[in-house]
Amino acid sequence: MTKARLARAARCALMTGMLCYGAGALPALAGDADAGKDVFKQECSECHSPREGKNKKGPSLFGIVGRNAGSISDYNYSDALKNAKWVWTEDKLHWYLSQPAKQANPGTKMKYSGLNDAKQLDDLISYLQSNH
Amino acid sequence: MSPSLTRILQRAAYAPWALLIACLMLASHSAHAVPAYARQTGNACADCHAGAYGPALTPYGMRFKLNGYTDTDGQGTKIPVAAQITGAHNVPARGDNTTQLSEVDVYLAGRISDHLGGFVKVETDNTGNDHYNTKLSNLDLRFVAKDLKVAGKDTIVGVSVNNSPGFDDPISSLPYASGLGPPAVSGTLLNLSSAHSLYNKVIGGSVYALYNNNWYGEVGTYNTMPTSVQDHLGFNPASDPGHISDTGYFRFAYMKDMKRQFFSAGVVALTTKRALPRNGPSDDITDLGYDLTYQFLGNRENIIQASYVNILEQRDYGSTPVVNGIVAKPNGNARDQTLSVTYTFKQSYALQVAHLISTGSQDAARYPPYGKPDSTANMITLYWTPFGKDESFTSIANLKLAATWYRFTRFNGASSNIFGAPPGALITDAKDLNAFTLSASLAF
Repeated sequence: MTKARLARAARCALMTGMLCYGAGALPALAGDADAGKDVFKQECSECHSPREGKNKKGPSLFGIVGRNAGSISDYNYSDALKNAKWVWTEDKLHWYLSQPAKQANPGTKMKYSGLNDAKQLDDLISYLQSNH
Repeated sequence: MSPSLTRILQRAAYAPWALLIACLMLASHSAHAVPAYARQTGNACADCHAGAYGPALTPYGMRFKLNGYTDTDGQGTKIPVAAQITGAHNVPARGDNTTQLSEVDVYLAGRISDHLGGFVKVETDNTGNDHYNTKLSNLDLRFVAKDLKVAGKDTIVGVSVNNSPGFDDPISSLPYASGLGPPAVSGTLLNLSSAHSLYNKVIGGSVYALYNNNWYGEVGTYNTMPTSVQDHLGFNPASDPGHISDTGYFRFAYMKDMKRQFFSAGVVALTTKRALPRNGPSDDITDLGYDLTYQFLGNRENIIQASYVNILEQRDYGSTPVVNGIVAKPNGNARDQTLSVTYTFKQSYALQVAHLISTGSQDAARYPPYGKPDSTANMITLYWTPFGKDESFTSIANLKLAATWYRFTRFNGASSNIFGAPPGALITDAKDLNAFTLSASLAF
């Protein structure tokens, strides 16, 4: 490959990245899990534990990515979440956490106003993905 | 409680200033550690207290208090009982060192239902020579209606029955809630270090509301308990706050939780008529104060909590006694200021520095020998709490090892010869009131 082709490819990749960023469509795994651990402490840890089997006011978030909603047997979920019938994929978490919880799942017990910092949200989801 | 407190109470009639000094020490030891709440909620101690030990609250702890202590992990009923044991080694600048089991507390604390919860502390103090006194310390019973909507905004409305106006405050900067107030010869009614403060010796209640998570308001009223009841509840009659009537308590604050940071600004007011002694004429007393707080929480590795409280008390006295030929003034004022900054590392290591000032108007008859009741003191505490975090050996119990230095630079209106001892007599300077304390508290 010539230098000119390499330069064109690099420019194309950069522009594609900028377009994706501009559309707010960075891949979910673009986050930094280490930074996400700090976001977890800041946003989530008072109500949720990252440890397996440890419920607080909210259920344990150990292995949350890929888990069915409302599926921890010893946690008393709201009817709204029991009936949600979705899987906590990275995309679903991104959607859920980027808005007030009561808007995403009317009737939920969760009181959370949403995380509107895109990078922090990606970092957080990367941390949750790594915590299993 | 400070181990020397009761001995000092016994001689308070002769040396009321000593009582006040003891109250400062009492205040700094009066940590509220309630592992029963941790068991109820599944939370770690550190979720509600930056240093994993009370009483200072994080914003999450404030919400738990506002919710009437009713939050739960939904894992069934937990036994709402906790205990705290404290031992202390005291090294006063003047006087004998002591090492003793200083305090044992039992808490009945927790939820009764989704709307009812409470906090009751029964405190047993070593009054010296291994004699113990048990008293009903703090009381806060609540009914709360959560998840209300007013004008489309989240609203909490609650009722608190308690024995100290301001103890129930969510921000925990006011003296009765923080456990910290300046040692005072003539302190305000809202300062728990005042000789005749209302702390734990009144009964009353308030209605409070939190609107849109930010605006807090509270209105309440109180009456003092009869001296016979105070006696039955373990309080020395010498600390009777007198008979109070027509008492109103008002609190309004704005608080903002930004997850990584928190700040609040509030005002507080108390108005009452006080007869002290109870068969004497009544004083008209009005307290007006404000408080500012800031917390940097970040990722909870480095936490800074700062607060400033300024309370001014205006007094119209019911009598003007003549002391040594001098007629007391018919009115006066007192002002208590507390500035406290705490740095906490890894929710386990903390340094708290407090600057405490109590001042009052000139009155030669009421404040002999200098006519001024002013005092200035500092409290510096370094402590370690190894447990009480999610990742520690236990998250629902804790140990607190603390080293505390009390420093006085002014007392009774003077820095030297603070009691105006005549030539040849033992002179006491403000610095002679200094003390150093090592303490260990276990909460479980």
